[in-house]
Amino acid sequence: MSLSKVAAVIGVGQTDYVGDYARVRAGQKLHDSYGYAALAFNDALADAGIARDAIDGLIVGPTVAYERVGELLGINPTWGGQRDAMLAVIEACMAIHSGLATTVACIYGNDQRSAAVQYGGPQAMGGDLFLSYVYHSPWGYTSQGALYAMMFRRFQEMTGITEAQLGEVAVAQRLHASLTPHALMRQTITIEDYLASRYICEPLHLLDYCLINDGGVAFIISEAGLAKKIGKKTPVPIHGVGRYDLNRGATSLEPRLLDFYRPAQEKCAAQVYDMAGIGPKDMDAVQVYDSFSCHVPFALEGYGYCRSGDAGRFMQEDGISLNGKLPVNTAGGHLSETYMQGWAHQVEAVRQVRGECGARQVPDCRFVHYNSDVAGKAVSVIYGK
Amino acid sequence: MARSRAVMSIYDQPMWKSIDAGKWQLQQCDGCGAYRYPPGPVCDKCLSMDSTWRDLSGRGKVLSWVVFHRKYLSDYEPPYNAVAVQLAEGPIVVTNLIGPEPEGGWIGRDVEICYEPDAEGHTIPRVKLAN
Ligand SMILES: [Zn+2]
Repeated sequence: MSLSKVAAVIGVGQTDYVGDYARVRAGQKLHDSYGYAALAFNDALADAGIARDAIDGLIVGPTVAYERVGELLGINPTWGGQRDAMLAVIEACMAIHSGLATTVACIYGNDQRSAAVQYGGPQAMGGDLFLSYVYHSPWGYTSQGALYAMMFRRFQEMTGITEAQLGEVAVAQRLHASLTPHALMRQTITIEDYLASRYICEPLHLLDYCLINDGGVAFIISEAGLAKKIGKKTPVPIHGVGRYDLNRGATSLEPRLLDFYRPAQEKCAAQVYDMAGIGPKDMDAVQVYDSFSCHVPFALEGYGYCRSGDAGRFMQEDGISLNGKLPVNTAGGHLSETYMQGWAHQVEAVRQVRGECGARQVPDCRFVHYNSDVAGKAVSVIYGK
Repeated sequence: MARSRAVMSIYDQPMWKSIDAGKWQLQQCDGCGAYRYPPGPVCDKCLSMDSTWRDLSGRGKVLSWVVFHRKYLSDYEPPYNAVAVQLAEGPIVVTNLIGPEPEGGWIGRDVEICYEPDAEGHTIPRVKLAN
């Protein structure tokens, strides 16, 4: 059964990434993950122009406890739970479609910078959920960056993509961040700057890695008919969703190293494009979960934006910046805007469809495709007019 | 900064015991013959719960490799490498290449398992280029 246009986004919100980054670096801590979540939720309510009592569904991010967020925000919903960004969107659509909720708030907060969350080493975040994050530690192999470095090295061998071609991701996204007032890293860079940046886990450079910062994001998804009545802005319908997971061989990195997640992306792409009734040629912008830059070439090939093995040339010649053929991560993404674990990408997709993006606005933006290929699953959402 | 630490479920314990004895063993499924890594209670191919610990042949091929330039663990001083090796028995393991480095590309090189002591007296299986 299709979830196409069953629900629409009526409000988006976020915290003050730039201000909080400066405050945390100066040793100040005004909020923890719950405070950031609350700030973002209030911002989203104001953007939607609705009252808190219109909310009857609550989905929170993996960094905060569901019940405590509901307690703090005074929400007793008819449907609730804890999900990552992409599954929050899908679950909101499912809850609405099934009649279990009509207006769902999806809320995320993370104090990862001020709380010094570790993404490598024996205490690596997520190790309890993903065995691959911790299993290879006896060999010094730790950090999510290392998983993608290993995957990208083999991808280089198979496709011939160069480090300079991969650098197009960091350069394009920094250009986008320079046009985004709320982005953290706004100084433009060149391919030469990229190549000169130090390796963290070779072949990945520092500029291939996401930022680590504090913040929160919220979005409010309502039943499509209701959305037109209660929201103050034109709703942004969700045209399609897709998902496919590769669990087999996950800890030994088999789906990454032998297949680059391609089978999952292809199945996910077929589902989301079918449901939306459109394909890659119809997309005006793409948002990619970019904990590391190499997610972008993997996604361009996996979701049919270029031929298999052609992502390096595509990024260099056709271009993935606002000046190129296919703008990717139009606010700067995890590399340069803010690292909100996919949540801020949904906000940017909605704003692009609304036409609110000012200097970084994609002209006549009708459809934005979000996709994520992390933690063993491929997930897609298409937002549109 | 903490040192590296093996995940030690009850299924991992026999494997590390075999490594300490200088002969890396993995479970081979009694139902379909598939080898399993990491060790576990059930075969993902045929769901048989029955398996037998077998010595590995020690042969494998490099699938990919990285070099760490950042320090994450007290017992690993960068720069150091990690390699993904597909064992002759099928499973992919992550380990380190020691000894001479390959001239030209690393990927596709034949390697063989060798054993090194760590600072705490345990044994870590690594690989070196095959003759
Ligand atoms: Zn079996």
